[in-house]
Amino acid sequence: MWDGIIIGGGLAGLLAGIRAAERGKKVLIVSEGVGSLTYSSGVIDLGDVERLMNQKSHPYALLGEKVVRSAAEYFQTLFPDYSGNWREPQFVLTPLGTPRKAGLIPRGLNTQALTETHKIILMALEGMKDFFPEVARSNLLKAYPQAEVVLHPFRVEGFEAWYTLGKSITGMDCGKYWRTASGIETLKGVWKSLDSFEPDKAVVIFPGLTSVFSQLLREVQFNLPFSVIEMTAFPPSAGGHYLYRGLVEKFKALGGELLVGSGVKKVELKGKQCHKIIVNSKGKDSEFSARVFVLATGGIFGGGIEVTLEAAKEMVFGLPPFVPSGWTNSEFLGEQPYARMGVETDNQLRPIDFASKEVLLENVRVIGRMLAHWDPWVEHCGGGVSLASGWFAGEQI
Amino acid sequence: MEKLDSVKNLDACIKCSACTSQCPVATVQPLFSGPKSVGPDAERFRLEGIDIDPQCLSYCSNCKTCEVTCPSGVKITEIILRAREKASLAGQKSGTTRLQVRDLVLGRAEYLGRLGTIWPGLTNGLLKVSGVRVLMEQTLGISRRAPLPPYQAKFKGIRNNKLVPNHRLSKAVVFFPGCFINYNDSLTGQAVIKVLEHNGYDVIIPNFHCCGVPLQANGKFNEARGNAKKNLALMNPYLQSGVPVITGCTSCGLALKEEYPNLEVSGSELIGRQAYDLFEFLWLLHEEGGLKQDFQEIPVSLGYHAPCHLKAQGIGTPVVRLLRLIPGVRVLDLDTGCCGLSGSYGYKQEKYDIARQIGEPLFRRVQVGVRIGEFQSMATECGGCQVQIEHGSGIATKHPIWVFMQAYGLD
Repeated sequence: MWDGIIIGGGLAGLLAGIRAAERGKKVLIVSEGVGSLTYSSGVIDLGDVERLMNQKSHPYALLGEKVVRSAAEYFQTLFPDYSGNWREPQFVLTPLGTPRKAGLIPRGLNTQALTETHKIILMALEGMKDFFPEVARSNLLKAYPQAEVVLHPFRVEGFEAWYTLGKSITGMDCGKYWRTASGIETLKGVWKSLDSFEPDKAVVIFPGLTSVFSQLLREVQFNLPFSVIEMTAFPPSAGGHYLYRGLVEKFKALGGELLVGSGVKKVELKGKQCHKIIVNSKGKDSEFSARVFVLATGGIFGGGIEVTLEAAKEMVFGLPPFVPSGWTNSEFLGEQPYARMGVETDNQLRPIDFASKEVLLENVRVIGRMLAHWDPWVEHCGGGVSLASGWFAGEQI
Repeated sequence: MEKLDSVKNLDACIKCSACTSQCPVATVQPLFSGPKSVGPDAERFRLEGIDIDPQCLSYCSNCKTCEVTCPSGVKITEIILRAREKASLAGQKSGTTRLQVRDLVLGRAEYLGRLGTIWPGLTNGLLKVSGVRVLMEQTLGISRRAPLPPYQAKFKGIRNNKLVPNHRLSKAVVFFPGCFINYNDSLTGQAVIKVLEHNGYDVIIPNFHCCGVPLQANGKFNEARGNAKKNLALMNPYLQSGVPVITGCTSCGLALKEEYPNLEVSGSELIGRQAYDLFEFLWLLHEEGGLKQDFQEIPVSLGYHAPCHLKAQGIGTPVVRLLRLIPGVRVLDLDTGCCGLSGSYGYKQEKYDIARQIGEPLFRRVQVGVRIGEFQSMATECGGCQVQIEHGSGIATKHPIWVFMQAYGLD
């Protein structure tokens, strides 16, 4: 018998697991794959918390300011590599070199230094996939008109095999390479090669470098006479990958168990209580019982909600999701109503029937992308909702 | 898998590249374009009869990390293995004659084991002579640097074959030891038996053959199925009486659960449901209140490495839960990726360095953990992982059953 079983191993599920395990609870996380963090940049967007707090039915309104703030602070205590304040947005660079607002950001991504410099050196690793040096340069010139932007193409011996094969170097290849022993040695050489650029008067932008959670990279960068700014990357992205690794490591160090690669096939209910889940293991099913269950299966994209032409279905408990009347908007990049699809809950995050407001399952909490009435793309609060609801569920297990 | 199913499964791939970003081989070997590319991407062309660089298929180490990773449930390794089989049937040879002989040798750990265990002292002595290893590398392509485990006297177990399958076998189990226990680690096999017996079980050990995984990994698909059928025939009477089959090796366990049910012979409909990983079985016993808990306190602190083929079974890490029941035992699940060996993969001359590089983060993590006092030694169920972790990190690595032996006061 577990104290809590969390279904879904993304940001919300892992944070809930960490918080509960830290409180001495026995926790199992069951996740169909590695979760969507690998697709994310590793930046945690909180959105305009004060405005969203007043938006009817928004998860922030449901949970209240204290929870949102506690969750953000808790996350930063767990990961001092993340900086930021839930009230004051910071800026990071998109993969195209434009600054964008962000909430909590990994060390190395803050663009503050760019607003004060007169010279930007944009490092351009030859052969890098999904990095467009000229586009980034022109966007940087627009965003920071006071500065000149010098493009610095360079080659690295460690990627010779890629060059020979004519294979592009992905952001993930880069992220991993710079953390290896030889990558770190090469990096020291790269910094030396900048001597002729008077780098002490410049700020260096280094796409492909991901120093979050790397003690060695932090040490290499510590004594440099200039600031180095990293960029976010297209998915799958090293920043998201290392955040996932960091969360998993924390969870396991606290004694949590993570079962990746199998989904929940069935649940067993007694009245308004769930007491068992049945996991689709190889050969036969495995059964796991718990006092509390947390649904963190990630909405439509995570496979938690299946949408057909006729209906939308929550896949684990068969809960009725909230479905907006018009699903889509013909304007591709405009607000899409289906984004607000999800499970409605009371302020304890227990699923409710949206007509009668009656609690459907007493010992189930719904968190993260599965919650109804929010839109991560328009409101830029995906990380914040996951942290706040995950932290809250972790307190309830 | 049915044809329709396999196409549907292929369509489930949304091209997100999560598998390639987690693939241990693609991370260290740029010549391998990764599971997404060699698996679902190339499969579209293969379905149209166009083979894209079949050589690339051989880089896959069959660790199944891609399948565990995939958020959409695509059977990526299965697609790759099937493509390999198709390529070998079409007569595309996996390389020179030397490499074909090598595949023959590595695929039959069983035959090697039988030879090696006739006179283990002599075999081990010979294998320690560097000239012999150089010769093996030159003639067979088996890396001279790879950690060949020493042979022990063949595992005989307590061959309780006299137990006739019948309804009175409710406290009996069939034990499938696997080649590593059979030829390289018979003492661990004995330990498994003692722990099961301590818990009141009769242990039946028919004269099993290799499970077939090494054969499959070395391109011998028909031979692998042949072995599986022979083993199923040996198990079948017990399966029919409802006796569970317990594996001490996580790769054998995965084969029994995932491959054996696909065979069209009697018993295949039962094996998936009746096959248990050793610790999965003991955990279920614990949940039913049947596990003896007369544990002595033992002050031991372990780092734990979950073998890839345990992860692929989708049962979690039952041994970690069980170890935590023993007073005094501390265990930390390191979760630092694949050890790199992947059965016979890391023994191949051209793969040794890849295997070593794959395991490097794990080896470093193990060394750091011991240095800063997080744990004293390592535990993992898989014999291959044990050998590779010791080889790479220099830290003693044992099967976790030894902790239970000690806690039960059986050793």
